[in-house]
Amino acid sequence: MPEQQEISLSILKKRWLKFKTLKRGYYSFIILIILYTLSWFLPMLINNRALIVSYEGELYLPAISGYYPGSEFGQDVPGEAIYRDLKESWEQFESDNWLLMPPYPYSPFEDITVKGNKMYEAPSSTHWLGTDNTGRDVFARLCYAFNISISFALVLTILNYIIGVLVGGSMGYFGGKFDLFFQRIIEIWSSLPMLFVIIIISSIIRPSFFLLIFIYTIVNWIGMTYLMRAEFYREKSKDYVAAALSMGQTNFKVMFKHILPNSLVPIITYFPFSVVGGISALVGLDYLGFGMPPPTPSWGQMLDVGLQNISKWWMVFAPVSAQFVTLIMVVFIGEAVREAFDPKVYSRLR
Amino acid sequence: MSNKTLVDVKNLSVYFPVHGGVFSKRIASVKAVDGISFSIDRKQIVGMVGESGCGKTTVGRAMINILRHVAPDVEIGGSIEYHFDDKVVDFAALTSSQIRKYRSRVQMIFQDPYASLNPRMTVAQIISEPLQLHTNMNNKEQAERVAWLLDKVGLQPEQARRYPHEFSGGQRQRVGIARALATNPDLIICDEPVSALDVSIQAQVINLMMDLQEEFDVSYLFIAHDLSVVEHISDKIAVMYLGDMAEYGNAHEVYHHPRHPYSKALLSAVPLPDPSRKNRKRIVLKGDVPTPLNKPSGCAFRTRCPVAEPSCAEEKPVFEEHASDHFVACPIVK
Repeated sequence: MPEQQEISLSILKKRWLKFKTLKRGYYSFIILIILYTLSWFLPMLINNRALIVSYEGELYLPAISGYYPGSEFGQDVPGEAIYRDLKESWEQFESDNWLLMPPYPYSPFEDITVKGNKMYEAPSSTHWLGTDNTGRDVFARLCYAFNISISFALVLTILNYIIGVLVGGSMGYFGGKFDLFFQRIIEIWSSLPMLFVIIIISSIIRPSFFLLIFIYTIVNWIGMTYLMRAEFYREKSKDYVAAALSMGQTNFKVMFKHILPNSLVPIITYFPFSVVGGISALVGLDYLGFGMPPPTPSWGQMLDVGLQNISKWWMVFAPVSAQFVTLIMVVFIGEAVREAFDPKVYSRLR
Repeated sequence: MSNKTLVDVKNLSVYFPVHGGVFSKRIASVKAVDGISFSIDRKQIVGMVGESGCGKTTVGRAMINILRHVAPDVEIGGSIEYHFDDKVVDFAALTSSQIRKYRSRVQMIFQDPYASLNPRMTVAQIISEPLQLHTNMNNKEQAERVAWLLDKVGLQPEQARRYPHEFSGGQRQRVGIARALATNPDLIICDEPVSALDVSIQAQVINLMMDLQEEFDVSYLFIAHDLSVVEHISDKIAVMYLGDMAEYGNAHEVYHHPRHPYSKALLSAVPLPDPSRKNRKRIVLKGDVPTPLNKPSGCAFRTRCPVAEPSCAEEKPVFEEHASDHFVACPIVK
């Protein structure tokens, strides 16, 4: 009897192990995951609202619950309380009230209308990357825009993949008239000048995150169909599919239980590059002014403003380098994934 | 018809249409199988031989009804009547969804053990798939059945957690056999199950298949191009040529006393490990196999037949019984 055999690794697990050995991609992956996870907690980290306020024995959580007028805390300001000033004055007069600010106490939305903010402030220890033409903190906007960019690219890519896999997979699997019909539809659809369509739509309707996702999805799902059609078309003629059918498996199960796991290579290897495409697309639209509605922090809008004020170097430098670093990390991931999925390493003949 | 009959194939034809021209009109059809009839009894092994491209594999795939997913417009004529218990089911007439519940009764072993096992599934998942579809076993019962089947085909039950790429060709084919046996089928269609294996492994796998045939009381349709393998395993032999059946009968009879001129030529090509018979007359056929797109009129074999007569071009020879249980499609040699 042989010794207790070690548990066999699936091909996907082997590829993951291989991916881990490719340090550049693996560390980029880890860093991006951490940064993206952190970016969901940005209201706790970068915000002009205090995390906790203790005022006359009562506790408030402005960072979570939102707007409190200044009068609530005995502050003589119009509109919302300015927590930085509040903190300063309470500390100065050694009051029993106290509050805890986030580590970086500026919001991406507060501009010169808030007392103490100035336009075009150069980078300093208070404003790490300076302020922009309306006195908003560039670093805060940069971080919030990171979250929006990555979320946009991820949601867009996943939606595109779902539609692309469903349509392309069905085309390849069922073939015949269905395939022919959808090929013609795709040819017509892909010949539409999509940038203009987007510009027209977003000049009629005020764009929002999900509207932009929707518009981009109806344009971009096509790319994946080509790949999935080819994959399914090739895989369906293999004997393991015939075997599954001969034991009475339904078409749906055959497609998604048998063929799809064997067609994952293009899905996974193209994923990082699709994310790059998604980020760049949003930057482009925002730069042209057809993207997210104005106060939303976005790299494209920051770039646009920065180029109009080219002498204020930090306003161009910040979005460009943020984009550069993010995109190059995603590309590193893509490169490592592509290498980990190289079929020459774990082919079935080995 | 005896009640021993398991499947009765009558006048089966499989045509693949060929489209061409501006409007992709149908311009011709590939007559892969052109009207063949035979039957398989329960617990019987029928060997099917012929050259490459003669339609053996197509017959097997038509009998298990998996041609349509690759070629949606294939035309299947005739009937393939299975006699399950008291029901008669015609696989050629039913739709895929109607056939689904009878799938457990007919299974298939594929030629290429590398392609016929899903590389993303473990052996346990592969073998338990038909169990999930056709039985009410829970996970534990399935695992027990998988272990028992693996033991039957000569693998270790611990290997169930492994992936196909960790096995050799012969071991993979054993996994394929275990999968085919999982639901206790009545018929297993073996599509050249050993031709991708080494000769030494071939013998092991064939002996295993013969043992299992007795143990599971299953019938085989054993498709091969190696005549000596077929003679070793089969009760009956069917010889095919260009989509037609040339000869069908008792294995010993067909192998040792072939009547059809094609069978004679084919059998004279079998290598014999016996130097004393090296002067055996070898019948060498002239010419190439005609294309099934444009088959010769009348007898398809007449263009290469050593005994052909002008009348052969006129009509297709009748497939008739020349001796008891020995059918030949040639009026000349009668």
